[in-house]
Amino acid sequence: MTAGKGWWGQRRNRQLTLIACFLLPSLAIFFLYRILPLGWNVILSFESWSPLKPAAWVGFEHYVEMWSYDDVFWVSLWNTLIFIAASPLVIAAALGVALLVNSDLRGASVYRTIVFLSYPLMTVAVGIIWRWMYDERGGIINYALRASGLVDGPVGFLQSFDWALPSVIFAGVWQTIGFYMIILLTGLQSIPQNLYEAARIDGAPAYARFFRITLPMLRPSIFLCVVVGILNSFTSFDLVYIMTNGGPGHATELLITHIYKSAFEQTKFDYAAALTVVQFGLLLLLTYAANKAAGGNAGAVEQD
Amino acid sequence: MAARPSRPRLLLRHATLVAVSFVMLLPFYWVMKTAVTNENIYAYPPGIVPRDPHLFNFVDVWYLIPFPRYLLNSIVVSAIAVAGNVVLNAMAGYALTRQFPGRRAVLALFLSCMLIPFQATIIPAYLITAKMGLLNTYFGLAFPMLSTIICIFVFKAAFEAVPRSLIDAARLDGLSEWRIILRVLLPLSKPAIATNVILSFIWSWNNFLWPLLITRDPTMQTLPLGLARFLSYMEDTTGALYAFAVLVLAPSVLVFLMAQKEFIRGLTSGATKG
Amino acid sequence: MTREAGIATWLTSRWFIVPAVFSAVTLGWLAYVSAHDNGLIDGRVVDAKGDPVAGATVQLFERGFVTHEQRGRAVTDAEGRFRFTDNRSHSIQLEAEAPGLGRTDRRILRLWFAAQDAVLPEPLRFPTAP
Repeated sequence: MTAGKGWWGQRRNRQLTLIACFLLPSLAIFFLYRILPLGWNVILSFESWSPLKPAAWVGFEHYVEMWSYDDVFWVSLWNTLIFIAASPLVIAAALGVALLVNSDLRGASVYRTIVFLSYPLMTVAVGIIWRWMYDERGGIINYALRASGLVDGPVGFLQSFDWALPSVIFAGVWQTIGFYMIILLTGLQSIPQNLYEAARIDGAPAYARFFRITLPMLRPSIFLCVVVGILNSFTSFDLVYIMTNGGPGHATELLITHIYKSAFEQTKFDYAAALTVVQFGLLLLLTYAANKAAGGNAGAVEQD
Repeated sequence: MAARPSRPRLLLRHATLVAVSFVMLLPFYWVMKTAVTNENIYAYPPGIVPRDPHLFNFVDVWYLIPFPRYLLNSIVVSAIAVAGNVVLNAMAGYALTRQFPGRRAVLALFLSCMLIPFQATIIPAYLITAKMGLLNTYFGLAFPMLSTIICIFVFKAAFEAVPRSLIDAARLDGLSEWRIILRVLLPLSKPAIATNVILSFIWSWNNFLWPLLITRDPTMQTLPLGLARFLSYMEDTTGALYAFAVLVLAPSVLVFLMAQKEFIRGLTSGATKG
Repeated sequence: MTREAGIATWLTSRWFIVPAVFSAVTLGWLAYVSAHDNGLIDGRVVDAKGDPVAGATVQLFERGFVTHEQRGRAVTDAEGRFRFTDNRSHSIQLEAEAPGLGRTDRRILRLWFAAQDAVLPEPLRFPTAP
């Protein structure tokens, strides 16, 4: 402190210093691992750089390459969009489960725990478990299908171009449905009961109560679930890496696995940075659209 | 929610939930069954119940791969992350309950950081960590996870719930700022501390991508990396891989079952605030 | 809440009991392991009729990643007993050989920890003489 004792002597200044010291470590971490990387990604995406050669400004070259020459980019973009598009179905299913569990059903908390149990698991292990579930010889899914006569021979779910992506998505659903359910359940429990009482007195049928009261009141929770669904296209890296590593061919390649492979397997850090910018832009765009669709201020900053 | 449901509808609800629970639990059963299976796990048809189950696959996992090393690494990294989270988040959470210039800006910054997934930062984060010389170190592994925004808000909410009058009374008694935090606020925020411990433990325990990027040295790898390595290097017909998976899953399942309430509170409070 | 009552509730909460039980079991296990990891393997060798075979050579194979490697030899005494004193592995195979009697089948012996002291439950048995 360069200021003298007079400055330090003031209680207000002492408190402000304390507050600053308390905030600084967290802010430093978020600056170092969130803000700075974001900016660096953008700059890197306009440069030609690798660990062994100095950076040179190349403008939009990486983006042009992505747009015109990189087939894998288009495949992975498409797969990412499919991945995101699956989340509304999952949210609908989770809403169904949440509605069932929300009632004063006996054993509701047991069901809730069971559905939620898969969420805190290590995704790597979940990938291994589901690889095994889908396995041609030892997997229970193939066994059940063959034993019941639905298919004649084994189905290589993760080796098939048609089935690999849905299979991976289903494994992801298994892990995340509990999270959606918990969010929606919290939303359901915050709906004032007297709204339902009033509607019942007015003679509104069950489906009307659902569409007129439950859904509108759940809008913030649903918005949150949608955002998490969009973010999942990033966070599903672990699952895809373990289950298929993008294969067969590039049938399950997501943008994030394409980014990882470009950067850390082909050492094209600059190009991978451009890919990251594209995916992050996509994420912001979709989140913005979801926010608009949810009524504009569902994710508003708290105002206190 | 509706008027008391009729009996058939109640049964239908139970049936649906039982079916859902079956689908959710089946993978758990299948991996545990495989982990104790004695014969070639690729034999068709696979038995629904294991024939002559035994636990020696777990012994194999312990000795055939450096499991104790992975376990130690995972524990050390998780311990650093948990300690960092509790201390730093409590500090930041407390700071946010006070008035100071720029508070709105800091709040907005935190909330917008929540929208940046860690996966979107991997390339510069890797380069930054390499520049700091933290590749292949415990601290480097834990560094990005030392503070979590959701958990800061959990602490903030807990501190705000402490009655203002209590703090004012303590201040009138001449307790210093530090004393107030340590003697009044923290003891009243035990659930928030529990939430922090659980969330940060589970997140760092399960983290895969970050260790994958910054550990090249096999002796610094954590359990998820060991699991991935085992998967890609070993072609074996015993259930050892699945025994490994069970061993790795057990701690997080145990912590979750012990502290489900705190865990859910953490997730949903982060959710409703965001 | 008084201080004593606070400690009592803390001691009976699951946050204390579960880790405490876990640590106790781990310590107990480690104590048991350190008392029983001398690498002793005892067993007997008998012929087809069940009579002890003296002078048979018993080989010990240790499990590696994919193969089994020969790690030790012992010779049976007059009562057909043998003993290995330096087993380091957790998964071994034993096989006996004697002139005129041929070889026994390889017997798999899986242990709960490396170098666990163990007694072969069933003696190694030579097949019926040709």
